[in-house]
Amino acid sequence: MAIRSSQEASLMLNGFKSPGRVALIGSRSDIGVSIIKQLPEDSSREVILIGRSGDYELNVTDKGARERVVAQLFDAGDVDLVVIAVGLLGKDPQLSTSENLLAAIDVNFLSSAHLMELISERMRRQAHGAILIVSSFAQVRPRDDNFRYGSTKAGIDFYARGLASSLQGSGVSVKILRPGFVKSKMTEGMEVAPLAITAEECGKYGVAALSSKKVVTWAPSKLKYAAVIFKALPPSLFKKISQR
Amino acid sequence: MHITEPELVSGWGRNFSSLSKRARISSIDEAQEFLAKIDPSRGALPVGLHRSYGDSALNSGGTLIDLSSLNGIVINPDSQTATVGAGVTIRDLERAALVRSLFPPVVPGTGFVTMGGAVAAEIHGKSHHKTGSFSQCLNWIKLLLASGQVVQLFSSDEEFWATVGGLGLTGLILEVDLNLRPINSNSVDVTERRVKNLDQMIEVLNTSDIDYEHTVAWIDLSGDYRGRGVVSLGNYGSTPLKVGNAKSSGPSLPSVGGTNFISPLTVKAFNELWFRKPLKNGSVGLSKYMHPLDGVNNWNRIYGDAGFLQYQFVIDEGKEEIFERLFAGLRSLKAASFLGVLKKFGAASGAPLSFPKPGWTLTLDYPTTVPGLEKFLHAFDEELVAAGGRIYLIKDSRVDHSLIPAMYPELEKWRRIRSSMDPAGLWQSDQARRLRLC
Repeated sequence: MAIRSSQEASLMLNGFKSPGRVALIGSRSDIGVSIIKQLPEDSSREVILIGRSGDYELNVTDKGARERVVAQLFDAGDVDLVVIAVGLLGKDPQLSTSENLLAAIDVNFLSSAHLMELISERMRRQAHGAILIVSSFAQVRPRDDNFRYGSTKAGIDFYARGLASSLQGSGVSVKILRPGFVKSKMTEGMEVAPLAITAEECGKYGVAALSSKKVVTWAPSKLKYAAVIFKALPPSLFKKISQR
Repeated sequence: MHITEPELVSGWGRNFSSLSKRARISSIDEAQEFLAKIDPSRGALPVGLHRSYGDSALNSGGTLIDLSSLNGIVINPDSQTATVGAGVTIRDLERAALVRSLFPPVVPGTGFVTMGGAVAAEIHGKSHHKTGSFSQCLNWIKLLLASGQVVQLFSSDEEFWATVGGLGLTGLILEVDLNLRPINSNSVDVTERRVKNLDQMIEVLNTSDIDYEHTVAWIDLSGDYRGRGVVSLGNYGSTPLKVGNAKSSGPSLPSVGGTNFISPLTVKAFNELWFRKPLKNGSVGLSKYMHPLDGVNNWNRIYGDAGFLQYQFVIDEGKEEIFERLFAGLRSLKAASFLGVLKKFGAASGAPLSFPKPGWTLTLDYPTTVPGLEKFLHAFDEELVAAGGRIYLIKDSRVDHSLIPAMYPELEKWRRIRSSMDPAGLWQSDQARRLRLC
């Protein structure tokens, strides 16, 4: 049965419509932590941190570990919200370009998509819940300096949009957050791009994404228009601008 | 037997929804046959008319069992008892009993509650100080266990007491047998008294317990929050009243486009009018008196799409100072309650999850959108527990699960009996999962 999207956003099991049992995959992600901290108040909320440190240890690139942790998480009780905030820029100076590419594909696309698949299967059974995935502005159009990273984000973004559509009417929702440049641990030392925001600001957009009727939320909102312009630019001009 | 596709269901508070299938069962045989079809991972839950406010009658991803077809009423005038199907409403039972000058001794504020719901919620009414809660008039409960066995439970059985107030989590209530009380007419002799503050209200309720079968107070929780209000006292009357066609239903609140009409300003204005209204003194129709809220269908729509929550708690006598702190907190939040009700409870029934116990019970309604309300209620819950109080689970959609064992000290005992009645955990609800009851 199809249900209205406004109702879909409220399928969280607490009278104040706020998520009660919440998991963050990527326990050390500045953006992820910021989203969790800014969720609507719920004095009895249980937050489960998942990652290299946290309540459940998880090496996201380990398939067996992913299956085990998702099973454990849901076996212990219904989950209202899972925020997936894992990401690799793929710029580790210790690794070659090709090794960096593989690592980024593994974390940003393969492992993330697998996690979303496993989580959505369990949420489908409980007939409620939301998955919030952190995508990126980098997936809009390939740029010479970050197309490898951007392609992994384009992959997960594409998958997430499809998953969101396929889950319509199931009580489960998928929301995609597309930040631009976020001043965080991940981008430390990098040149700050236009429309840059802090992790805290990004968290606000993440929370807004959860109650939005739309699948995609840009952080900041102006990036939506920047993306339209980026896509419309002729290749030569785009290359010139993006190399600045 | 008919099983629907998953559909959205919400409690009476309409503050959130959950998606579940609904199985319409029309006989005990069908119910037994249905057991094998239940997906044990999300289970099933018998439900009535969804008058519980929160998630007591929701089961996301599972099945709801509708037993409204079990609607038989057999009244035995000699023994003054009734054998009634689980799907029969209080209103229908009242009508059938009235014809024989009988009446159920315990009825809640709405007549739109099924027998199954009345048992599972262990409902109470304005007569609690005299009659106790619903279980006090029950002779037996016929229950379908998860095993498929049908059992008849009496008050000497611990399974009886686990089912009373057991939120539908012990099995399918199929039929109950209960005592009725004789009445002389279809009226109640009502006396109303206006009181200026909470102290006066408490005094009037305290002193009228003995003389009146029904006592309740409307309390104004807006403006200065001093607890002014109107105390209503009643006894079964002897003047027969002419009433309209019993089948006609009252006016419905139209769908108001999802807008919330309840704000501090509208509540204050309404409460001012209500406080000043002429007091009733004399005969009032029995149904009208017992179920004032049933006068307007779908009154819960007045809070708009965001819905509302009802908060009901009980606190021991002697702990009345907790009200002052509650009122001060609500005043600072500018949280005005449209419906405030104070009542003095009598003895507890002894069922592990039964809500009423001796003391004061206060009921409040709030839109969920009041800023700071979540945090405030949580802090108040903790204070309440420290003072030995508890909240009514059938109204709840928000309490912290860690407080439940302190509120209901016999929870462990209930869990033990419940699990012996349903070892595989077939009966489930959103509330049971949220509060980790089972």
